[in-house]
Amino acid sequence: MQLKKAGRVRRTLSAISATLLVAAASGYESEAAAQDFYGLDKGNNDNFGPGIAYSQLDAALLVYQEAGGRVQAIEPTGSLSVHGARGQVLSIDGVADAVSGATPNGAVPSSVAQNFVTPLKASGSSTTVTSASGGSTVIQLPPTPGQIATAALGRQYTVPANTLPMDRGFRDHRAAMTLGWSQPVGRITEVGASGGFSTEEDYQAITASAHASQNFNGDNTTVSLAVHGEFDTSSPFGGIPTALAAMSGQWKSPTSRQKTQLGLVLGVTQVLTRNWLTVLNYSYDRQKGYETDPYRVISVVDPTSGLPTSTLYESRPGGRQTQSVYWENKIAFGPALTDVSMRYFKDDWGVTSKTVEASERVNLSRHWYVEPDIRWYQQSAANFYHRYLVGNQSLPAFASSDARLENFHALTYGAKIGFRLSGRSEIFVRGEYYAQAGTDHPADAIGQLRQQDLFPETKAVYGFLGYQWKFH
Amino acid sequence: MVARFLKRVLIVSALAAACSGCSAIGPKPWEKDIMARPEMQITPYPLQASADDHIYFSKEAASGGRGFAGGGCGCN
Repeated sequence: MQLKKAGRVRRTLSAISATLLVAAASGYESEAAAQDFYGLDKGNNDNFGPGIAYSQLDAALLVYQEAGGRVQAIEPTGSLSVHGARGQVLSIDGVADAVSGATPNGAVPSSVAQNFVTPLKASGSSTTVTSASGGSTVIQLPPTPGQIATAALGRQYTVPANTLPMDRGFRDHRAAMTLGWSQPVGRITEVGASGGFSTEEDYQAITASAHASQNFNGDNTTVSLAVHGEFDTSSPFGGIPTALAAMSGQWKSPTSRQKTQLGLVLGVTQVLTRNWLTVLNYSYDRQKGYETDPYRVISVVDPTSGLPTSTLYESRPGGRQTQSVYWENKIAFGPALTDVSMRYFKDDWGVTSKTVEASERVNLSRHWYVEPDIRWYQQSAANFYHRYLVGNQSLPAFASSDARLENFHALTYGAKIGFRLSGRSEIFVRGEYYAQAGTDHPADAIGQLRQQDLFPETKAVYGFLGYQWKFH
Repeated sequence: MVARFLKRVLIVSALAAACSGCSAIGPKPWEKDIMARPEMQITPYPLQASADDHIYFSKEAASGGRGFAGGGCGCN
Protein backbone atom coordinates (compact mmCIF):
# COMPACT_ATOMS: atom_id res chain seq x y z
CA MET A 1 0.00 0.00 0.00
CA GLN A 2 2.75 2.26 1.03
CA LEU A 3 4.57 1.28 -2.07
CA LYS A 4 1.46 2.00 -4.14
CA LYS A 5 1.07 5.37 -2.44
CA ALA A 6 4.73 6.17 -3.02
CA GLY A 7 4.33 5.23 -6.69
CA ARG A 8 1.37 7.60 -7.06
CA VAL A 9 3.27 10.41 -5.37
CA ARG A 10 6.24 9.77 -7.64
CA ARG A 11 3.99 9.83 -10.71
CA THR A 12 2.32 13.05 -9.52
CA LEU A 13 5.70 14.65 -8.88
CA SER A 14 6.90 13.48 -12.30
CA ALA A 15 3.81 14.97 -13.93
CA ILE A 16 4.34 18.29 -12.11
CA SER A 17 8.04 18.46 -13.02
CA ALA A 18 7.24 17.55 -16.64
CA THR A 19 4.66 20.35 -16.74
CA LEU A 20 7.22 22.76 -15.28
CA LEU A 21 9.80 21.66 -17.86
CA VAL A 22 7.34 22.12 -20.71
CA ALA A 23 6.31 25.49 -19.29
CA ALA A 24 9.96 26.51 -18.93
CA ALA A 25 10.79 25.22 -22.40
CA SER A 26 7.86 27.05 -23.95
CA GLY A 27 8.92 30.14 -22.00
CA TYR A 28 12.40 29.98 -23.47
CA GLU A 29 10.97 29.24 -26.88
CA SER A 30 8.60 32.20 -26.82
CA GLU A 31 11.41 34.43 -25.52
CA ALA A 32 13.71 33.21 -28.29
CA ALA A 33 10.92 33.76 -30.79
CA ALA A 34 10.38 37.27 -29.45
CA GLN A 35 14.09 37.95 -29.88
CA ASP A 36 14.13 36.43 -33.35
CA PHE A 37 11.20 38.33 -34.71
CA TYR A 38 10.98 41.45 -32.62
CA GLY A 39 14.48 41.77 -31.15
CA LEU A 40 13.09 42.60 -27.72
CA ASP A 41 14.68 41.50 -24.47
CA LYS A 42 12.93 40.91 -21.15
CA GLY A 43 12.73 44.61 -20.44
CA ASN A 44 11.04 45.15 -23.78
CA ASN A 45 14.13 46.99 -25.02
CA ASP A 46 15.48 46.68 -28.54
CA ASN A 47 18.12 44.04 -28.96
CA PHE A 48 20.21 43.74 -32.10
CA GLY A 49 22.81 41.22 -30.97
CA PRO A 50 23.87 37.91 -32.50
CA GLY A 51 21.09 35.42 -33.17
CA ILE A 52 18.57 38.13 -33.94
CA ALA A 53 17.34 38.99 -37.42
CA TYR A 54 17.53 42.72 -38.09
CA SER A 55 18.60 45.24 -40.69
CA GLN A 56 20.76 48.35 -40.45
CA LEU A 57 20.58 51.36 -42.71
CA ASP A 58 23.35 53.95 -42.74
CA ALA A 59 23.12 57.16 -44.74
CA ALA A 60 25.63 60.00 -44.78
CA LEU A 61 26.70 63.14 -46.56
CA LEU A 62 30.32 64.32 -46.74
CA VAL A 63 31.07 67.93 -47.69
CA TYR A 64 34.78 68.61 -48.22
CA GLN A 65 36.44 71.94 -49.05
CA GLU A 66 40.14 72.77 -49.48
CA ALA A 67 41.54 76.22 -48.78
CA GLY A 68 42.66 78.48 -51.65
CA GLY A 69 39.82 77.52 -54.00
CA ARG A 70 41.23 74.04 -54.44
CA VAL A 71 39.27 70.78 -54.45
CA GLN A 72 35.73 70.66 -53.19
CA ALA A 73 33.69 67.47 -52.98
CA ILE A 74 30.19 66.44 -52.07
CA GLU A 75 29.70 62.76 -51.40
CA PRO A 76 26.40 61.11 -50.43
CA THR A 77 26.77 57.50 -49.28
CA GLY A 78 24.40 54.76 -48.19
CA SER A 79 24.68 51.27 -46.80
CA LEU A 80 22.13 48.57 -46.02
CA SER A 81 23.00 45.40 -44.15
CA VAL A 82 20.49 42.62 -43.53
CA HIS A 83 21.39 40.28 -40.64
CA GLY A 84 19.85 36.82 -40.44
CA ALA A 85 19.22 34.97 -37.18
CA ARG A 86 21.93 32.41 -38.03
CA GLY A 87 24.66 35.00 -38.52
CA GLN A 88 24.18 35.60 -42.25
CA VAL A 89 24.81 39.18 -43.42
CA LEU A 90 23.95 40.68 -46.80
CA SER A 91 25.35 44.15 -47.37
CA ILE A 92 24.90 46.71 -50.14
CA ASP A 93 26.92 49.93 -50.18
CA GLY A 94 26.62 52.83 -52.60
CA VAL A 95 28.69 56.01 -53.03
CA ALA A 96 28.32 58.97 -55.38
CA ASP A 97 30.62 61.96 -55.44
CA ALA A 98 31.09 65.18 -57.34
CA VAL A 99 34.57 66.70 -57.21
CA SER A 100 35.60 70.05 -58.69
CA GLY A 101 38.02 72.92 -58.18
CA ALA A 102 41.68 73.59 -58.81
CA THR A 103 44.47 71.09 -58.29
CA PRO A 104 48.25 71.69 -58.39
CA ASN A 105 49.58 70.41 -61.74
CA GLY A 106 53.03 69.64 -60.32
CA ALA A 107 55.04 72.49 -61.90
CA VAL A 108 57.03 74.92 -59.71
CA PRO A 109 55.99 78.56 -59.23
CA SER A 110 58.07 81.05 -61.18
CA SER A 111 58.95 84.75 -60.99
CA VAL A 112 57.46 85.09 -64.48
CA ALA A 113 54.00 84.04 -65.74
CA GLN A 114 53.76 80.50 -67.16
CA ASN A 115 51.52 78.98 -69.85
CA PHE A 116 50.35 75.37 -69.81
CA VAL A 117 48.52 73.55 -72.61
CA THR A 118 46.42 70.41 -72.21
CA PRO A 119 44.37 68.47 -74.78
CA LEU A 120 40.85 69.72 -75.48
CA LYS A 121 39.77 68.12 -78.74
CA ALA A 122 41.34 65.46 -80.90
CA SER A 123 42.26 66.32 -84.45
CA GLY A 124 39.54 65.58 -86.98
CA SER A 125 36.66 65.65 -84.47
CA SER A 126 33.59 67.40 -85.79
CA THR A 127 31.90 68.90 -82.71
CA THR A 128 32.58 72.56 -82.04
CA VAL A 129 33.99 73.97 -78.84
CA THR A 130 32.49 77.24 -77.69
CA SER A 131 34.45 77.93 -74.54
CA ALA A 132 36.73 76.38 -71.98
CA SER A 133 36.12 76.59 -68.27
CA GLY A 134 38.26 77.91 -65.44
CA GLY A 135 39.89 80.96 -67.10
CA SER A 136 41.38 78.90 -69.93
CA THR A 137 41.48 79.77 -73.61
CA VAL A 138 41.09 77.51 -76.62
CA ILE A 139 44.06 77.44 -78.94
CA GLN A 140 44.66 75.90 -82.36
CA LEU A 141 47.55 73.44 -82.29
CA PRO A 142 49.58 73.08 -85.49
CA PRO A 143 49.98 69.64 -87.07
CA THR A 144 53.09 67.80 -85.86
CA PRO A 145 55.18 66.75 -88.87
CA GLY A 146 55.36 62.98 -89.16
CA GLN A 147 53.02 62.39 -86.20
CA ILE A 148 49.77 64.31 -86.38
CA ALA A 149 48.49 65.25 -89.81
CA THR A 150 45.75 67.69 -88.90
CA ALA A 151 45.46 70.48 -86.38
CA ALA A 152 43.86 69.84 -82.95
CA LEU A 153 42.41 72.12 -80.32
CA GLY A 154 44.16 72.63 -77.00
CA ARG A 155 43.20 74.33 -73.74
CA GLN A 156 45.73 76.87 -72.52
CA TYR A 157 45.78 78.35 -69.04
CA THR A 158 48.12 81.03 -67.73
CA VAL A 159 49.50 81.06 -64.20
CA PRO A 160 50.59 84.51 -62.93
CA ALA A 161 54.11 85.10 -61.60
CA ASN A 162 54.92 83.80 -58.08
CA THR A 163 51.77 81.65 -58.01
CA LEU A 164 51.45 77.90 -57.54
CA PRO A 165 50.51 76.42 -60.95
CA MET A 166 47.08 74.87 -60.71
CA ASP A 167 44.71 73.48 -63.31
CA ARG A 168 41.29 74.97 -62.61
CA GLY A 169 39.49 72.77 -65.12
CA PHE A 170 39.39 69.79 -62.74
CA ARG A 171 35.96 68.20 -62.47
CA ASP A 172 34.87 64.60 -61.93
CA HIS A 173 31.94 62.45 -60.89
CA ARG A 174 32.12 59.02 -59.36
CA ALA A 175 29.60 56.31 -58.58
CA ALA A 176 30.50 53.10 -56.77
CA MET A 177 28.64 50.07 -55.48
CA THR A 178 29.69 47.08 -53.36
CA LEU A 179 27.71 43.91 -52.66
CA GLY A 180 28.77 41.51 -49.91
CA TRP A 181 27.68 38.31 -48.19
CA SER A 182 28.98 36.52 -45.10
CA GLN A 183 27.82 33.65 -42.89
CA PRO A 184 29.13 30.95 -40.57
CA VAL A 185 30.27 27.81 -42.42
CA GLY A 186 30.59 24.60 -40.42
CA ARG A 187 32.98 25.28 -37.56
CA ILE A 188 34.30 28.49 -39.12
CA THR A 189 32.81 31.51 -37.39
CA GLU A 190 32.45 33.62 -40.52
CA VAL A 191 33.19 33.27 -44.22
CA GLY A 192 32.38 36.04 -46.67
CA ALA A 193 32.94 37.54 -50.08
CA SER A 194 32.20 40.86 -51.74
CA GLY A 195 32.47 42.48 -55.14
CA GLY A 196 32.40 46.09 -56.18
CA PHE A 197 32.50 48.44 -59.11
CA SER A 198 33.50 52.09 -59.22
CA THR A 199 33.28 54.37 -62.23
CA GLU A 200 34.53 57.91 -62.87
CA GLU A 201 34.73 59.88 -66.09
CA ASP A 202 38.35 58.75 -66.57
CA TYR A 203 38.78 55.77 -64.20
CA GLN A 204 37.14 52.42 -63.54
CA ALA A 205 37.83 49.96 -60.74
CA ILE A 206 36.55 46.43 -60.22
CA THR A 207 37.14 44.99 -56.74
CA ALA A 208 36.66 41.56 -55.19
CA SER A 209 37.45 40.30 -51.71
CA ALA A 210 37.02 37.21 -49.55
CA HIS A 211 37.50 36.73 -45.83
CA ALA A 212 37.28 34.13 -43.08
CA SER A 213 37.40 34.54 -39.32
CA GLN A 214 37.48 32.19 -36.36
CA ASN A 215 36.58 32.89 -32.74
CA PHE A 216 38.41 31.19 -29.84
CA ASN A 217 38.57 31.33 -26.05
CA GLY A 218 34.92 31.91 -25.35
CA ASP A 219 34.65 34.38 -28.26
CA ASN A 220 37.32 36.60 -26.69
CA THR A 221 39.83 36.02 -29.51
CA THR A 222 39.15 36.37 -33.24
CA VAL A 223 41.68 35.56 -35.94
CA SER A 224 40.83 36.73 -39.45
CA LEU A 225 42.29 36.60 -42.92
CA ALA A 226 41.03 38.69 -45.82
CA VAL A 227 42.25 38.80 -49.40
CA HIS A 228 41.49 41.58 -51.83
CA GLY A 229 41.91 41.98 -55.59
CA GLU A 230 41.42 45.05 -57.73
CA PHE A 231 41.54 45.73 -61.45
CA ASP A 232 41.73 49.40 -62.45
CA THR A 233 41.58 51.09 -65.84
CA SER A 234 42.81 54.64 -66.24
CA SER A 235 41.44 56.41 -69.33
CA PRO A 236 42.61 60.02 -68.92
CA PHE A 237 41.16 62.85 -70.94
CA GLY A 238 43.59 63.37 -73.83
CA GLY A 239 45.10 59.88 -73.70
CA ILE A 240 48.12 58.42 -71.85
CA PRO A 241 51.17 60.70 -72.10
CA THR A 242 54.63 59.25 -72.68
CA ALA A 243 56.68 59.25 -69.48
CA LEU A 244 58.87 62.36 -69.15
CA ALA A 245 57.73 63.69 -72.58
CA ALA A 246 57.06 67.42 -72.98
CA MET A 247 53.57 68.57 -71.90
CA SER A 248 51.41 69.22 -74.94
CA GLY A 249 47.82 69.73 -76.08
CA GLN A 250 47.99 66.92 -78.60
CA TRP A 251 45.82 63.83 -78.20
CA LYS A 252 47.92 60.93 -77.03
CA SER A 253 47.97 57.20 -77.48
CA PRO A 254 47.18 54.70 -76.00
CA THR A 255 43.91 55.93 -74.55
CA SER A 256 43.97 53.73 -71.45
CA ARG A 257 46.25 51.69 -69.18
CA GLN A 258 45.54 49.10 -66.48
CA LYS A 259 46.67 48.33 -62.95
CA THR A 260 46.10 45.17 -60.90
CA GLN A 261 46.28 44.91 -57.15
CA LEU A 262 46.33 41.96 -54.78
CA GLY A 263 46.43 42.29 -51.01
CA LEU A 264 45.80 40.53 -47.73
CA VAL A 265 45.01 41.56 -44.18
CA LEU A 266 45.77 39.20 -41.30
CA GLY A 267 44.10 40.31 -38.08
CA VAL A 268 43.79 39.33 -34.43
CA THR A 269 41.12 40.84 -32.20
CA GLN A 270 41.35 40.19 -28.46
CA VAL A 271 38.95 41.14 -25.70
CA LEU A 272 41.45 41.72 -22.91
CA THR A 273 39.15 42.66 -20.06
CA ARG A 274 35.48 43.47 -19.56
CA ASN A 275 36.13 46.98 -20.95
CA TRP A 276 39.24 46.69 -23.15
CA LEU A 277 39.33 45.51 -26.77
CA THR A 278 42.49 45.40 -28.88
CA VAL A 279 42.96 44.84 -32.64
CA LEU A 280 46.22 44.03 -34.40
CA ASN A 281 46.37 43.88 -38.23
CA TYR A 282 49.15 43.15 -40.66
CA SER A 283 48.53 44.17 -44.29
CA TYR A 284 50.44 43.38 -47.43
CA ASP A 285 49.54 44.81 -50.80
CA ARG A 286 51.07 44.38 -54.24
CA GLN A 287 50.22 46.56 -57.25
CA LYS A 288 51.38 46.13 -60.84
CA GLY A 289 50.71 48.31 -63.86
CA TYR A 290 50.04 51.99 -64.49
CA GLU A 291 50.81 53.94 -61.29
CA THR A 292 51.48 57.31 -62.94
CA ASP A 293 49.20 60.33 -62.59
CA PRO A 294 48.53 61.12 -66.28
CA TYR A 295 47.72 64.80 -65.63
CA ARG A 296 50.70 65.60 -63.44
CA VAL A 297 53.78 67.36 -64.78
CA ILE A 298 57.24 68.27 -63.46
CA SER A 299 59.27 71.39 -64.26
CA VAL A 300 62.79 71.35 -65.67
CA VAL A 301 64.57 74.47 -64.39
CA ASP A 302 67.61 76.43 -65.43
CA PRO A 303 70.58 75.36 -63.22
CA THR A 304 71.44 78.98 -62.33
CA SER A 305 68.30 81.13 -62.46
CA GLY A 306 65.84 78.41 -61.36
CA LEU A 307 63.42 79.56 -64.07
CA PRO A 308 61.38 76.75 -65.67
CA THR A 309 62.66 75.92 -69.14
CA SER A 310 60.31 73.04 -69.97
CA THR A 311 57.47 70.99 -68.48
CA LEU A 312 57.45 67.18 -68.68
CA TYR A 313 54.83 64.54 -67.83
CA GLU A 314 55.75 62.63 -64.68
CA SER A 315 56.85 59.00 -64.55
CA ARG A 316 56.42 56.39 -61.78
CA PRO A 317 57.56 52.77 -61.44
CA GLY A 318 55.23 50.11 -62.84
CA GLY A 319 54.58 48.47 -59.49
CA ARG A 320 54.41 48.99 -55.77
CA GLN A 321 54.49 46.79 -52.68
CA THR A 322 53.21 48.10 -49.37
CA GLN A 323 53.11 46.70 -45.85
CA SER A 324 51.52 48.05 -42.72
CA VAL A 325 50.95 47.14 -39.09
CA TYR A 326 47.88 48.61 -37.42
CA TRP A 327 47.09 48.47 -33.71
CA GLU A 328 43.85 49.78 -32.21
CA ASN A 329 42.63 49.84 -28.61
CA LYS A 330 39.15 50.62 -27.36
CA ILE A 331 38.83 51.16 -23.63
CA ALA A 332 35.51 51.95 -21.96
CA PHE A 333 35.45 53.67 -18.61
CA GLY A 334 32.06 54.67 -17.23
CA PRO A 335 30.32 56.89 -19.79
CA ALA A 336 33.61 57.45 -21.68
CA LEU A 337 35.17 55.41 -24.46
CA THR A 338 38.80 55.98 -25.49
CA ASP A 339 39.89 54.83 -28.94
CA VAL A 340 43.62 54.96 -29.73
CA SER A 341 45.16 53.57 -32.91
CA MET A 342 48.62 53.50 -34.45
CA ARG A 343 49.84 52.52 -37.90
CA TYR A 344 53.30 51.95 -39.30
CA PHE A 345 53.45 51.84 -43.10
CA LYS A 346 56.31 51.06 -45.48
CA ASP A 347 56.54 50.58 -49.24
CA ASP A 348 59.20 49.82 -51.85
CA TRP A 349 59.02 53.39 -53.20
CA GLY A 350 60.91 54.50 -50.09
CA VAL A 351 57.88 55.86 -48.25
CA THR A 352 57.59 55.11 -44.55
CA SER A 353 54.82 56.63 -42.48
CA LYS A 354 53.54 56.73 -38.93
CA THR A 355 49.99 57.56 -37.89
CA VAL A 356 48.52 58.02 -34.42
CA GLU A 357 44.82 58.63 -33.96
CA ALA A 358 42.79 59.14 -30.78
CA SER A 359 39.18 59.90 -29.95
CA GLU A 360 37.25 60.18 -26.71
CA ARG A 361 33.54 59.50 -26.79
CA VAL A 362 31.56 60.70 -23.80
CA ASN A 363 27.92 59.73 -23.39
CA LEU A 364 26.48 62.88 -21.83
CA SER A 365 22.95 61.58 -21.36
CA ARG A 366 20.70 58.83 -22.64
CA HIS A 367 20.46 60.72 -25.93
CA TRP A 368 23.50 62.94 -26.37
CA TYR A 369 27.18 62.13 -26.84
CA VAL A 370 30.26 64.08 -27.92
CA GLU A 371 33.47 62.73 -29.43
CA PRO A 372 36.51 64.97 -29.95
CA ASP A 373 39.29 63.44 -32.05
CA ILE A 374 42.86 64.11 -33.16
CA ARG A 375 45.12 62.47 -35.76
CA TRP A 376 48.84 62.93 -36.40
CA TYR A 377 50.45 61.66 -39.59
CA GLN A 378 54.01 61.72 -40.88
CA GLN A 379 55.57 60.33 -44.06
CA SER A 380 58.99 60.29 -45.72
CA ALA A 381 59.46 61.07 -49.43
CA ALA A 382 59.39 58.49 -52.22
CA ASN A 383 62.85 57.89 -53.68
CA PHE A 384 61.77 59.23 -57.11
CA TYR A 385 60.20 62.39 -55.69
CA HIS A 386 61.76 65.56 -57.13
CA ARG A 387 60.19 68.96 -56.68
CA TYR A 388 61.77 69.85 -60.06
CA LEU A 389 64.46 68.55 -62.41
CA VAL A 390 67.61 70.54 -63.20
CA GLY A 391 68.34 71.33 -66.87
CA ASN A 392 71.99 70.28 -67.04
CA GLN A 393 71.44 66.88 -65.39
CA SER A 394 70.39 63.66 -67.14
CA LEU A 395 66.75 62.63 -66.76
CA PRO A 396 66.09 59.98 -64.09
CA ALA A 397 64.04 56.88 -65.00
CA PHE A 398 61.24 57.97 -62.68
CA ALA A 399 60.33 61.41 -61.43
CA SER A 400 57.24 62.85 -59.77
CA SER A 401 56.68 66.19 -58.06
CA ASP A 402 53.41 65.00 -56.47
CA ALA A 403 53.32 66.55 -52.98
CA ARG A 404 51.67 63.34 -51.73
CA LEU A 405 55.03 61.63 -52.27
CA GLU A 406 57.01 64.33 -50.43
CA ASN A 407 58.24 64.33 -46.84
CA PHE A 408 55.54 66.02 -44.69
CA HIS A 409 53.38 65.68 -41.63
CA ALA A 410 49.69 66.40 -41.16
CA LEU A 411 47.33 67.07 -38.29
CA THR A 412 43.58 66.51 -38.20
CA TYR A 413 41.36 67.57 -35.36
CA GLY A 414 37.65 67.94 -34.85
CA ALA A 415 34.64 66.66 -32.98
CA LYS A 416 31.46 64.75 -33.42
CA ILE A 417 28.12 65.34 -31.75
CA GLY A 418 25.57 62.55 -31.77
CA PHE A 419 21.94 62.31 -30.75
CA ARG A 420 20.26 58.97 -30.19
CA LEU A 421 16.65 59.35 -31.29
CA SER A 422 15.72 55.98 -29.76
CA GLY A 423 17.34 52.62 -29.10
CA ARG A 424 17.09 52.06 -32.84
CA SER A 425 18.34 55.19 -34.53
CA GLU A 426 20.78 58.04 -34.16
CA ILE A 427 21.90 61.10 -36.04
CA PHE A 428 25.31 62.73 -35.81
CA VAL A 429 27.33 65.56 -37.25
CA ARG A 430 31.11 65.75 -37.38
CA GLY A 431 33.43 68.61 -38.32
CA GLU A 432 37.17 68.18 -39.01
CA TYR A 433 40.12 70.37 -39.96
CA TYR A 434 43.06 68.85 -41.84
CA ALA A 435 46.38 70.61 -42.42
CA GLN A 436 49.63 69.39 -43.96
CA ALA A 437 53.02 70.96 -43.25
CA GLY A 438 56.15 70.35 -45.31
CA THR A 439 59.36 72.09 -46.34
CA ASP A 440 58.31 75.28 -48.11
CA HIS A 441 61.88 76.52 -48.68
CA PRO A 442 64.36 73.65 -49.15
CA ALA A 443 68.00 74.60 -48.51
CA ASP A 444 69.12 73.42 -51.96
CA ALA A 445 66.59 75.53 -53.94
CA ILE A 446 68.09 77.19 -57.03
CA GLY A 447 67.88 80.89 -58.03
CA GLN A 448 64.34 82.29 -58.04
CA LEU A 449 63.02 79.08 -56.43
CA ARG A 450 64.49 80.28 -53.11
CA GLN A 451 61.76 82.90 -53.01
CA GLN A 452 58.95 80.46 -53.85
CA ASP A 453 56.79 78.29 -51.59
CA LEU A 454 57.73 74.84 -52.90
CA PHE A 455 55.41 72.67 -50.81
CA PRO A 456 51.79 73.03 -51.97
CA GLU A 457 50.31 71.84 -48.64
CA THR A 458 46.65 70.87 -48.44
CA LYS A 459 44.45 72.53 -45.84
CA ALA A 460 40.87 71.35 -45.73
CA VAL A 461 37.71 71.43 -43.67
CA TYR A 462 35.05 68.80 -43.94
CA GLY A 463 31.69 68.10 -42.46
CA PHE A 464 30.00 64.74 -42.15
CA LEU A 465 26.31 64.23 -41.45
CA GLY A 466 25.27 60.69 -40.64
CA TYR A 467 22.15 58.73 -39.82
CA GLN A 468 21.95 55.16 -38.55
CA TRP A 469 18.77 53.15 -38.21
CA LYS A 470 18.35 49.57 -37.03
CA PHE A 471 15.03 47.84 -37.62
CA HIS A 472 13.31 44.44 -37.70
CA MET B 1 69.90 16.82 -34.28
CA VAL B 2 68.99 16.59 -30.59
CA ALA B 3 69.50 20.34 -30.23
CA ARG B 4 67.08 20.97 -33.14
CA PHE B 5 64.50 18.60 -31.61
CA LEU B 6 64.84 20.30 -28.22
CA LYS B 7 64.44 23.68 -29.92
CA ARG B 8 61.21 22.49 -31.58
CA VAL B 9 59.90 21.12 -28.29
CA LEU B 10 60.68 24.44 -26.64
CA ILE B 11 58.90 26.40 -29.40
CA VAL B 12 55.82 24.12 -29.26
CA SER B 13 55.77 24.37 -25.45
CA ALA B 14 56.08 28.14 -25.59
CA LEU B 15 53.22 28.35 -28.12
CA ALA B 16 51.07 26.00 -26.03
CA ALA B 17 51.81 28.08 -22.93
CA ALA B 18 50.96 31.26 -24.84
CA CYS B 19 47.68 29.76 -26.08
CA SER B 20 46.67 28.52 -22.64
CA GLY B 21 47.48 32.03 -21.45
CA CYS B 22 45.10 33.41 -24.08
CA SER B 23 42.25 31.24 -22.82
CA ALA B 24 42.59 32.86 -19.40
CA ILE B 25 42.43 36.35 -20.91
CA GLY B 26 39.12 38.06 -21.39
CA PRO B 27 35.79 38.29 -19.64
CA LYS B 28 33.33 35.48 -19.04
CA PRO B 29 30.11 35.46 -21.11
CA TRP B 30 28.17 37.16 -18.30
CA GLU B 31 30.74 39.97 -18.17
CA LYS B 32 30.29 41.08 -21.78
CA ASP B 33 27.77 43.86 -21.17
CA ILE B 34 30.26 46.60 -22.10
CA MET B 35 31.53 44.75 -25.18
CA ALA B 36 27.92 44.48 -26.38
CA ARG B 37 27.55 48.27 -26.55
CA PRO B 38 27.22 49.44 -30.19
CA GLU B 39 30.13 51.90 -29.85
CA MET B 40 32.44 49.05 -28.73
CA GLN B 41 32.16 47.38 -32.14
CA ILE B 42 35.38 47.60 -34.19
CA THR B 43 33.86 49.87 -36.84
CA PRO B 44 30.56 51.16 -35.42
CA TYR B 45 30.16 53.84 -38.13
CA PRO B 46 31.35 52.22 -41.39
CA LEU B 47 30.46 55.16 -43.65
CA GLN B 48 32.40 57.58 -41.45
CA ALA B 49 35.43 55.27 -41.48
CA SER B 50 35.32 54.87 -45.27
CA ALA B 51 34.98 58.67 -45.77
CA ASP B 52 38.10 59.21 -43.62
CA ASP B 53 40.01 56.49 -45.49
CA HIS B 54 38.96 58.02 -48.83
CA ILE B 55 40.16 61.51 -47.84
CA TYR B 56 43.52 60.30 -46.52
CA PHE B 57 44.00 57.96 -49.50
CA SER B 58 43.55 61.01 -51.79
CA LYS B 59 46.01 63.23 -49.88
CA GLU B 60 48.71 60.95 -48.46
CA ALA B 61 51.06 58.21 -49.71
CA ALA B 62 50.12 55.65 -47.05
CA SER B 63 46.75 53.92 -46.92
CA GLY B 64 45.08 50.86 -45.43
CA GLY B 65 45.80 49.30 -42.07
CA ARG B 66 42.27 49.20 -40.72
CA GLY B 67 41.24 47.43 -43.93
CA PHE B 68 42.46 47.26 -47.51
CA ALA B 69 44.89 49.78 -48.96
CA GLY B 70 43.03 50.05 -52.26
CA GLY B 71 40.83 53.04 -52.92
CA GLY B 72 38.81 51.73 -55.82
CA CYS B 73 39.16 55.17 -57.37
CA GLY B 74 41.58 57.23 -59.40
CA CYS B 75 42.06 59.86 -56.72
CA ASN B 76 45.66 58.95 -55.96
